[in-house]
Amino acid sequence: MSEVVNLNVNGIDIQSDSKKLLIEACEDSGIHIPRFCWHKRLDPVGMCRMCLVEIETPRGKMLVPSCTTQISDEMIVDTESDVVKKAQEGVLEFLLINHPLDCPICDKAGECPLQDQTMAYGPGESRFVEEKRHFEKPISISEIILLDRERCILCARCTRFSDEISGDPLIEFIQRGNKTEVNTFPNEPFKSYFSGNTVQICPVGALTSTSYRFKARPWDLKSTRSTCNGCPMGCSTELNSSQNKMLRILGVDNDSVNQGWLCDKGRYNFEYLNSETRIKTPLKKLNNNFEEVEMQEVYSEISELIKNENTKVNFYLGSNLTNEDFVAFREFANSISNNDNKFYLNDDVLFQGFFNEDVELGKIDDLNNSDAIVIWAEDLKERLPVLYLRVRQAVKNGVKLIVFGHTNRTLDDVAEIFYSDEVVSENFEIIKDLTKLEDFKSLIVEKNVTAIIGKSTPQQSDSSINKLFDFLNSNSNLKILNAFTKGNTYGAFQILDNLKGTKDFVNEINSENTDLLFVVAADPIGRSIYSKQVKKVFDEIKTVVSLDNFKHETSELADVIVPISSTLGEKNGTFTNIEFRTSRIDKLVPSPGQTVSDWEFITSLMNFSGLSNNSYSLEELNTKAFEDLDIELKPYFDNLDKPSNLDGIINRTTPKIATSSSDSEKVNFFIGEKLYGDSVTERNSESISLLGAKKFIEMNQETVDKFKLSSGNCLLEQDNLEINVSYTVNNILPKGTIYIPTNRRELNKFDFSKKIMITPSRVKEALNVN
Amino acid sequence: MRETILLTQHMRSNPEDSHLIDSYEKNNGYVTAKKTLLNSSPEKILEEIKSSNIRGRGGAGFPTGVKWGFLAEDEDRYLVINADESEPGTFKDRILLERDPHQLIEGIIITCFSANIKKAFIYIRGEYAKPARRVQQAVEQAYQKGYLGNKIFGSDMDLDIVVHLGAGAYICGEETALLNSLEGRRGEPRLKPPYFPAVKGLYMKPTLVNNVETISSVPWIIENGGEEYNKLGVEGSTGTRIFSLSGHINKPGNYEIEMGGSFGEFVETLGGGIRNSKKVKAYIPGGASAPWFRGDQLDIKMTIDDVANNNSMLGSGAVVMMDEDTNLVSAAKSIVSFFAHESCGQCTPCREGTTWIEMILDRIASGRGRTSDINLLLDVCDNISPGLSWPPKMTTICPLGPSAVSPITSLMNDFREEVERLIPTKVLL
Amino acid sequence: MSWDKTLLKQAGEIIELYPQKRSALGPLLHLAQSKDGYISDDSISVISELLGITEVQVKSVSTFYSMYKQEPTGKYLISVCKSISCEINNSTEVIDKVQEFTGLNNNETDEDGLFSFEAVECIGACGGAPAMQVNYETVEGINAENVFSLCSWLKESAPEVIVADEMQENFGGIKSFDWAIQDNTGATSTAPGFQTLKTSKVKK
Ligand SMILES: Cc1cc2nc3c(=O)[nH]c(=O)nc-3n(C[C@H](O)[C@H](O)[C@H](O)COP(=O)(O)O)c2cc1C
Ligand code: SF4
Ligand code: FES
Repeated sequence: MSEVVNLNVNGIDIQSDSKKLLIEACEDSGIHIPRFCWHKRLDPVGMCRMCLVEIETPRGKMLVPSCTTQISDEMIVDTESDVVKKAQEGVLEFLLINHPLDCPICDKAGECPLQDQTMAYGPGESRFVEEKRHFEKPISISEIILLDRERCILCARCTRFSDEISGDPLIEFIQRGNKTEVNTFPNEPFKSYFSGNTVQICPVGALTSTSYRFKARPWDLKSTRSTCNGCPMGCSTELNSSQNKMLRILGVDNDSVNQGWLCDKGRYNFEYLNSETRIKTPLKKLNNNFEEVEMQEVYSEISELIKNENTKVNFYLGSNLTNEDFVAFREFANSISNNDNKFYLNDDVLFQGFFNEDVELGKIDDLNNSDAIVIWAEDLKERLPVLYLRVRQAVKNGVKLIVFGHTNRTLDDVAEIFYSDEVVSENFEIIKDLTKLEDFKSLIVEKNVTAIIGKSTPQQSDSSINKLFDFLNSNSNLKILNAFTKGNTYGAFQILDNLKGTKDFVNEINSENTDLLFVVAADPIGRSIYSKQVKKVFDEIKTVVSLDNFKHETSELADVIVPISSTLGEKNGTFTNIEFRTSRIDKLVPSPGQTVSDWEFITSLMNFSGLSNNSYSLEELNTKAFEDLDIELKPYFDNLDKPSNLDGIINRTTPKIATSSSDSEKVNFFIGEKLYGDSVTERNSESISLLGAKKFIEMNQETVDKFKLSSGNCLLEQDNLEINVSYTVNNILPKGTIYIPTNRRELNKFDFSKKIMITPSRVKEALNVN
Repeated sequence: MRETILLTQHMRSNPEDSHLIDSYEKNNGYVTAKKTLLNSSPEKILEEIKSSNIRGRGGAGFPTGVKWGFLAEDEDRYLVINADESEPGTFKDRILLERDPHQLIEGIIITCFSANIKKAFIYIRGEYAKPARRVQQAVEQAYQKGYLGNKIFGSDMDLDIVVHLGAGAYICGEETALLNSLEGRRGEPRLKPPYFPAVKGLYMKPTLVNNVETISSVPWIIENGGEEYNKLGVEGSTGTRIFSLSGHINKPGNYEIEMGGSFGEFVETLGGGIRNSKKVKAYIPGGASAPWFRGDQLDIKMTIDDVANNNSMLGSGAVVMMDEDTNLVSAAKSIVSFFAHESCGQCTPCREGTTWIEMILDRIASGRGRTSDINLLLDVCDNISPGLSWPPKMTTICPLGPSAVSPITSLMNDFREEVERLIPTKVLL
Repeated sequence: MSWDKTLLKQAGEIIELYPQKRSALGPLLHLAQSKDGYISDDSISVISELLGITEVQVKSVSTFYSMYKQEPTGKYLISVCKSISCEINNSTEVIDKVQEFTGLNNNETDEDGLFSFEAVECIGACGGAPAMQVNYETVEGINAENVFSLCSWLKESAPEVIVADEMQENFGGIKSFDWAIQDNTGATSTAPGFQTLKTSKVKK
């Protein structure tokens, strides 16, 4: 139990929560104590000793580290005494004796706590006349992270982060004493999805990213707060630019959402903005070639079409749009005379969701406050990486985790119960009577449970997840987080009724019902498991207008490509996350060339074609986005110049999703997306492309043996498609099941409703030799 | 001064085979443990230990009975025997492990009975290969006889002992570092608070950590009663204690004596005096961590409190004599090098400071010192251990860092001219 | 995995001894050292798999302790103590002599893989200062002369088992205490931890 305690710091009485550490209590009252190793989100280690302060004890004044000292009532603290000052100066001098003097070329210079504190507390001159400790200057510890051990002050932030928070301890202290260094194992690089966080929390320039290295000086940086729209987590970010170029994304400590962390994809996937191949001028197809045209020409051509009331218009929308973009499309659709238009979201795994009136929708923070967490969804680490971190954090705080199905195998190390093939069949059906799972029941019956439930793979039927949901709903005090995994899906749900996914798109759309199709920021041919079918649909349709950044497999089939600005710093708007928290997306750099925001394009088109006389403003669209919501929440987006309520506000409706449910098919592989794929933005973001969408499949050892595989490679065959891939062994997969990551352009070309042959590739290679 | 033989009784009377179970049993071995398990109660044993007033022999001198009393309730509790003995000058646990391992095992059985513990670990430093072999053999013999395992001596008590070898890290003698090491981690001391072993120890379970000598004393105390033990020695330093005597001494060795006599007496009688009839320039009263005494301080009494009152510590009971010809700067450098080498590296002042001091001393010792180095040396020490007082103030997690400062303060307080003499008066800059 | 069955079986038995797997890390590193004379990357991978921790976690622990060698050691690891009691009893002379004989600097191994040399901190033989160890078997009361003979003997007769009693009798001097008990058990490698695991060798 926490209680309020009174303490006296530097002669001033302050109050704080008894659970707090002295350093936090002081910080809350505006008394700053210097520190290097302490980090709010990591367990204290008390290693750097910079935060030493004096407290009164029965045996006189004692120096204690404020970062490991729990406060108590009537504690008397001095953070400024001569003894404290001397100790702090001493520590700083110790840290500096072996620190290189390469500040002028260090990325961290200007925002370096060591530099700042040397200014504030430092000794001013060096008394160290011996040779400094030397290490090889930056060594590369992964494709995107460099480590300069000479700069490292051994604060253990990176090692603690990877051990405590991300659960992949790949960076550690090596050696001891004065020889201690941080390093990785030679054959085992720092291949964490979260490695960028260590660069951000490193208090010196020891860890740097190739992405930002030597790109800017902190004092040139412009910055704004924004929200990542890579997945429905909606992590709070800070965007940095220099000379009108986006250069860096940092995580912002939003207590209820990402607590400062980002996944590496969210952090580095902006690099495509500066890509050479980005489209900055409207393109129109003439004789199968794209030619640059004026925007006016685009407007007038499309106007012609939509003014014709026989033109049937439909929409395939990407999930990275802002809520305001969605509203613009909704308004547009409503204003077209032939207004039987449908919206499809580029999501292969859309499901109905659990949105009944009697279900309590959960918040991310509920994870921490429940007795148990139940998960059956796509692999959180791959699809909602920072939610995965929050689940791990909850488990660390004592919440029990129960995982269903082999699709969330990355959480098995912290799960109390991991139900794999004995409870969930290889084709994703619950095959056991849930009431008979005693250990499961003991953890959830009449307990506070937060469940993260969603389709764990496109092939899964709704019936089993419904079964699990019903069981939980009737036996526990349930809060639910629906596990959709695409960008601003939740915003789309709130704004667009009867939204459907890619599967429905290929089943429903054809030349009969569609003359004009808008494909917005989406590449379903390059990125969907329905790739082939989508292509067929596109081939049939008369006019396709693509709003996009790049030419890619889908946009190349369009008749017109309109270049658009990105949600990563080029436009304003809002985003709605998995808990229906709406937060701001902010503009930092000018939108390049003739790029426009989707909403701008659409509303201009409406004006141009006379569908509307209203010249919509962003504020107006924003107001319309939340018309149906609680009145109090509306002013949220009131003033674009002043960021209001940065952490966002939760507002809820019950969305109507119209995706068709499907029956489970008998399959012997499971498909899903990895964090890194080879989508067009990923290909054009150097860091992400280096981390790479490797082509590989996974299976357990028995399966490897069954197919008599041995070389590490095998051949997948279907009709006349043959793909040579490597395989890795993953024994959490059920026997006979093969996992195929589908966000790779080659692997998603299979028809996953049919058989795929697997054979050792050795034979083929041997044949090829002849 | 004469020895008082309690702990070393069996090994002395059976010099050829004191390490074997048959020999130990012939000498009434395991009788006390058996009686205890069958007829006594945990509370009674704790009472005896308390009334013996024995204080830990690992260095800190914490009252053993009090420590046992702190042990928190839990289904799983552990006993860990600290046999990491690595403090320079100390070799007393070695003899107990090598020559009378069964006495230790008997002590463990009684301790575990008293503290309701079912699993004990003996953490022996890796370099003690031979002692470790002996202990392992003894443990196996005890299992064969049914003195370890299930229902030992036909009582309800189960007990397993695992012999665990360290691998060369002095810091693992610090009890929380030892626990980390035993858990398969780097031997880094834990933060205290909150990780007091008696509450959150091995695997975060309540754990007793005691020195080899402490637990080896348990059978005698239980057999003869805490009161009897308390009568030996002096108040605050009861019982006997094995001192390791080394340095420039005629008869170095381990001597079991009652505490209370003076160092001078000890050296002259049991130690046979200083080699070549030299005078003592300085001596270390309690292991490398302890501040030195001067040769004119030989009349200080060998008790925990007397030594403490003279601003040093009896520590691990290692007495090192340095004669008048000793180069004290080299001696201090040797000790500082030791601590620099053994620093775990967590705390900035210890990691950086000890190495820095070593470098400065090295410069001075090799004639490259600067006049300013004396103040620098003292100030760097002050930044590790503010005020340079005794007991040391700490800027660090554990006392290792401040320990490195002890020889420097001794050197500077009492033998400053030796240092100054080494510094060339004119330094070209 | 490139540990053979016997070694893996032994590893399994060690892991069994502990309430938590990871505790076996230290002993398994000793086992690895007994196999190769150092902690190879390959052993690190094996151990990481056996204990379910990452390779760098194994590396982190193994490099913390000075007895786990990062480089292959020679057949005989000579460790001369340089801590206080030995220091003031002229251990530097002994160290110089060993270095002269072997031609090795601190922490080096010769090309034939015969000797490794290190100057170490206190080995708990202060009464017999200066003291040293060969494969962690102790000899006390040495000096520049007899350490030379000791090294020559090692080189010439290349004993398979290093027995402390034997070395002490032939090359040692003053002792920390009376060893009394006759002992023919000795070291067969630079991994003493291996030997307590019930596989010690006895010299005939
Ligand atoms: C740096 C350091 C090294 C220590 N080394 C040892 C040691 O080698 N053996 C030992 O028994 N205690 C050692 N101790 C003391 C232990 O932390 C602990 O106090 C002791 O094992 C408790 O046992 P006792 O109460 O029986 O003395 C050391 C302490 C410190 C701070
Ligand atoms: S004082 Fe030294 S040995 Fe002790 S914890 Fe700190 S760094 Fe480690
Ligand atoms: S911030 Fe407290 S010790 Fe580093």
